Amino acid sequence: MIDFVLSYLPLLNLIILNCGLALSQYVVLRAGVFSVATAGLASIGAYTAGLLILRAGVPALVAVFGGALTGMIAALILSVPLARLRGVFQAIATVAMVQIILSIALYADDITGGANGLNGIPRLVGTPALLLFIAVCIYALWGLGRGRVGAAFDTIRQDETVAVSLGISVQYYQTLAFGLSGVIAGMTGALMACHNHSIVPEEFGFDMLTAVLAYVVLGGRRSVAGPIVGAVLLSLLPEIARPLADNRMIVAGGLMMLAIIYLPHGIVDSIAIARRRASGPLASHPSVAGAADGRA
Amino acid sequence: MIAQQILNGLVVGSVYALFALGFTLIFGVHHILNMAHGAVFMWGAFFGLFAITRFDLPFPLGFVLAIVLAGLLSVALDWVAFRPLRRRGAPEFSAIVSSIGAGLVLMNIAQRVSDTRVLRYPFGTLPIEIYSFLGLRVTLIQAVMVLSTLLIVAALFVYLFYTRFGRQIRAVAINERTATLLGVNPNFVYFQTFFISGALAGAAGVLIGIAFNAVHFLMGDAYMLRAFVVIVLGGLGSVMGALIAGLLLGLVQTLTIAYVSSGLSDAIIFSILFVVLLVRPTGFFGTLRKEQRVARE
Repeated sequence: MIDFVLSYLPLLNLIILNCGLALSQYVVLRAGVFSVATAGLASIGAYTAGLLILRAGVPALVAVFGGALTGMIAALILSVPLARLRGVFQAIATVAMVQIILSIALYADDITGGANGLNGIPRLVGTPALLLFIAVCIYALWGLGRGRVGAAFDTIRQDETVAVSLGISVQYYQTLAFGLSGVIAGMTGALMACHNHSIVPEEFGFDMLTAVLAYVVLGGRRSVAGPIVGAVLLSLLPEIARPLADNRMIVAGGLMMLAIIYLPHGIVDSIAIARRRASGPLASHPSVAGAADGRA
Repeated sequence: MIAQQILNGLVVGSVYALFALGFTLIFGVHHILNMAHGAVFMWGAFFGLFAITRFDLPFPLGFVLAIVLAGLLSVALDWVAFRPLRRRGAPEFSAIVSSIGAGLVLMNIAQRVSDTRVLRYPFGTLPIEIYSFLGLRVTLIQAVMVLSTLLIVAALFVYLFYTRFGRQIRAVAINERTATLLGVNPNFVYFQTFFISGALAGAAGVLIGIAFNAVHFLMGDAYMLRAFVVIVLGGLGSVMGALIAGLLLGLVQTLTIAYVSSGLSDAIIFSILFVVLLVRPTGFFGTLRKEQRVARE
């Protein structure tokens, strides 16, 4: 029994790290920012932690918080120019930012190890630490999402004009979402560095960007459960059905298309909407049914 | 030496322009950011390769066949990935996600077809000939690249600005609803723009596949990212802008590789993209329609 559990621990760790990335992507999408910067921010966190451990020999806790800090700083700096852009232009700008970080990581090889990346990082975190991390993230985002901040995020995402007319500062809340996304992405990246023994630049490229986006699109963008469900499902699918492993991209790509076409709110949020429609006192009222269909 | 580098840069740039034109056309007319454009480009290279290796077609025929097939693939993409979203009136973000998904599927199929190998055009598909021209060396491949790009772009301009079909496309670009009221069949316009866009990508795919003699299922990604730079520099949706910006990007890239550093080339290019987005997100050239939803007030 113990052997059975132990043999699946690496998979569990992978899923937890993917959940961290998914949560980072979820925060910005919930606030209506079309940013896909998570991969780049995670890269910054991972390199910070890796360098701190290898060059300065700091303990894991310091390295992880160092990663979170640099991730947050990078995100806050990025949020200033991004606040001026919208829609697809935000997406393009953040794709560019991911590419800039990737090519700098490749270029500065005396610091980052270039294409070989950073190797020989000792494994400093185990499953308990990762579980603690993801639990804290989920609790923090859940708590924020229930209150004023979550309501503001939802309003901005559905209609920015309405949000402004209600006195919600779009810039303030989107910067907040960006900072949160940076902290989570940086921390996840740092944990990846402390867990995977090595980090290479290509890990944090376009592939990670699309994978993380797929988690959130499949799971849902409103509730915290959405990105978790998406990340768990998409990380587990290739493991459960071995033949699918060779066709990983068809599974991820096909599910992304099916989800955005037939379940535009993602699995979790679609269930939530259906339940609310079935039970709420205004169940038959069209405005309730249509409320979530706005700019989701 | 520098004249030779400039020439090389313009040759590469002409293919960037070809690729980015299709991308920007779809954005300009339908406001769709087609992230699967790189996959269509990659399939264009595969179609050309299979036409020449499996069916022993001569190069010009294989080239034309690849262009047509890539065009049809792009139309199929529109039907599968975008039409259901249009019907629901989904926000623009949905189209980005859906096309990323479609691109992944197309790439995975290409990976299976090619067994993850790098495929090559057979030796002598285009004979290696070098011409001297004003003291510059021009290979036959480079000449084919530039001439076919010029031909295709000229044809596109005539089509867009001097035919009835082109007028319909431009009308839809300005306002799809009004154009429909005036008797334009929007589905036919979608068919045309996606076919043209795919055909341009397919042509670029074959040319790049031959020029670097490598056809690989991941080849689309790098060009997709370059296309972002081209279309932002030229203005999203601007045909003329994509052409000029494509040439310019080829030039900048070749010159930075030759005189600065090949490792920094990407960082420089994407930094240019970032700065342009901040300073002038509408790009430097006019578009098929005025882009109003670029920046916040």
